[in-house]
Amino acid sequence: MSGLFLNMIKEEWRIHSTMFGSLNFALFPVLICAIGFMGTFLIPLIQNTLTLTDLVILIHANYLMLGLMVGAFGLLGNEVMNRRFGQASLLAYSARTLPLTPRYIFLTFVLKDTLYYFFLWILPLGAGFFIASLVIGIDLMIPLRLLVTLTFSFLSGMSCIFFLSTVYERSARLLGIILVLSGLIGSFYTIYYGINPASLFPALLLFTTFNVKNLFLTLLTLIIPFIAALLLYSPDTRNTTKIYENKMKPLIHRLRFIPYPSLMVKDMLDLWRSGSIIGQVIFSFFVPLVVIWFFLSLLDEYISILQLLFTFAMITGIIASTMYTWITMFDSLSIYTVLPVDVPVVIKSKITLFSLLQVIPALFISGICLFAGEGAYLFPVLVLTLSVSFYVLAVMIWLTGLSPSVLVYSARVMVLYFLLIGLILAIFSSLTMINPWSGIGAVLLFIPAYEFIKLGFRRWDRVEQGIF
Amino acid sequence: MEYVIITHNLTKFYGNLIAVNSVNLSVRKGSLFGLLGPNGSGKTTIIKMLTGQILPSSGKGDVLGIDVVSDPIKVRTLVGIIPEQETPPSFLTVMEYLDFVAEIRKIPEIEKKAAWWFNYLDFEDKKHVLCKDLSRGTRQKLMLTQAFIHEPELALIDEPLINFDPIMQAKVKEFFVSYVQKNNTLFLSTHLLETAEEICSDIAILHKGDLLYSGSMSKILEENRHLSEFFLSLVRR
Repeated sequence: MSGLFLNMIKEEWRIHSTMFGSLNFALFPVLICAIGFMGTFLIPLIQNTLTLTDLVILIHANYLMLGLMVGAFGLLGNEVMNRRFGQASLLAYSARTLPLTPRYIFLTFVLKDTLYYFFLWILPLGAGFFIASLVIGIDLMIPLRLLVTLTFSFLSGMSCIFFLSTVYERSARLLGIILVLSGLIGSFYTIYYGINPASLFPALLLFTTFNVKNLFLTLLTLIIPFIAALLLYSPDTRNTTKIYENKMKPLIHRLRFIPYPSLMVKDMLDLWRSGSIIGQVIFSFFVPLVVIWFFLSLLDEYISILQLLFTFAMITGIIASTMYTWITMFDSLSIYTVLPVDVPVVIKSKITLFSLLQVIPALFISGICLFAGEGAYLFPVLVLTLSVSFYVLAVMIWLTGLSPSVLVYSARVMVLYFLLIGLILAIFSSLTMINPWSGIGAVLLFIPAYEFIKLGFRRWDRVEQGIF
Repeated sequence: MEYVIITHNLTKFYGNLIAVNSVNLSVRKGSLFGLLGPNGSGKTTIIKMLTGQILPSSGKGDVLGIDVVSDPIKVRTLVGIIPEQETPPSFLTVMEYLDFVAEIRKIPEIEKKAAWWFNYLDFEDKKHVLCKDLSRGTRQKLMLTQAFIHEPELALIDEPLINFDPIMQAKVKEFFVSYVQKNNTLFLSTHLLETAEEICSDIAILHKGDLLYSGSMSKILEENRHLSEFFLSLVRR
């Protein structure tokens, strides 16, 4: 395995360093480290409103969510690899020419990605916290323990979603049963014991009480779903050729009122036929947000449920904006380079489909709003969610064009992304804290969003199509 | 004489590597023009520049009288293109892809035109199969169809025969010849010298980005030389 593993690591490095330059990509973990370092200095300032324990809960929730989103690559097995790698001839295709099974290659691929994300996201944050702790005198055991438990949080998310997505690949019904059962057990705990299920998250328990029992428990909850997923993993090796009804023409006819309907229909068929619309909604949207909601609920002793709701609305908006990556990741660029369409036209068609997909976050946040017993504030919550989503979409279009899931690993792109989003989060967190109805003011975000999209059109239209 | 492609000192750098070095080409209307060269000689880069897929580092390229840098979309509207890699959208069927192309190119009566191609290239049975499930040869047939279905007066094709069996190769060559007989122009990039010798009226030879020869095929054959002999004498120099 070591030969393939090391070569996959080299390959991953070369893909990213070719795109952004070695220095720019190498700076990405340095940036995360700097964020961890600077964030630690803010702890004493914010401790009056948010205790260290709450911060720890939030950071664990974020890393769990990162793991959940990364782990979704198990969803469609080889299809995910094919889409991610496009036409490039990479090691993930080695099963065709080397005496290696697809499952073996997939395991190596998962391990490689785990190591990569550890060095890109987890270790740098832990290192930043550790270095800052040396300066401001926090007990050094805390950052070290955090590094271990954040790694477990990330791996838990990855392992859990990897398991669920491979179950989904086998049987959508079985996945439904598992999700309903999990929901029932969670509700049972909440109603009968008054315990938020998120407080039983093993990595969090381990951080609170670092002992052998909790370590064993955490490892067990990681390893069991991972092994089960590996056993359930079924590479797409079917040789049957399915016949499909022509959907392009009737859909174009129905969508005649929009410009270039065929581009949007292509993306719709991509999403539907790859099975990814259901998979992405469950694994990249619904599951991470429900988990985040339960984690945020742990803070309700310190922050009002209304404030939590508005914070959650903004998080939902940010997660909803990633739907743009769902509709860009299928594209092989040569589809467009042989046709008389330019980059702005392609992006416009993606924005149209993105707008249709916003029904999903709108329904979701409405449900959460009613569930939280704050139906009276449904309108500002809804406006805030959708405005944030479109604003972040516009920032993404400006920064990454048609390659959001790839270009995000440029340190420059990441800094600008965090700054531009952090700014509006800070503004609207403060405003909605003063007056919840000010959430409606988020509609003003459509103005900078429009400008960012215009800038994006200009920028990406002049970039060579081979790399747009 | 009317020219459909004219390049002036067309140059492309990839970092420090010079892929195409000050190339001056003129392609006659109605010719079957073969751009020949070993792997990595710059053939694909030239086709990409002439179809607006990449920008030249310097120099100029006019296609059908249009500056390809200032109006690449107009160029792509008028010409047919087959890229080096056959990559139709994975989750569309063959017919859906042709409907997709027809909608963008505003081609009327697409079913009738597609039916002619299905019959000619013998892939009617794949009409409702997803592109990701097609063999490479069938994908190439589909790419050939999309490039010619709007009946362009100029087509730029990168290695068009490489995935075809000998029977299909003969059929496609026959189509190319009949296509230029109707006063259309075909700009063909290949390293298959036998194919070029058989069907091309004009050729250009590239090596490491430099243009070594540009002229008519008949001139070479008049000297009683085979194209392969002529080609090797240039690139081994």
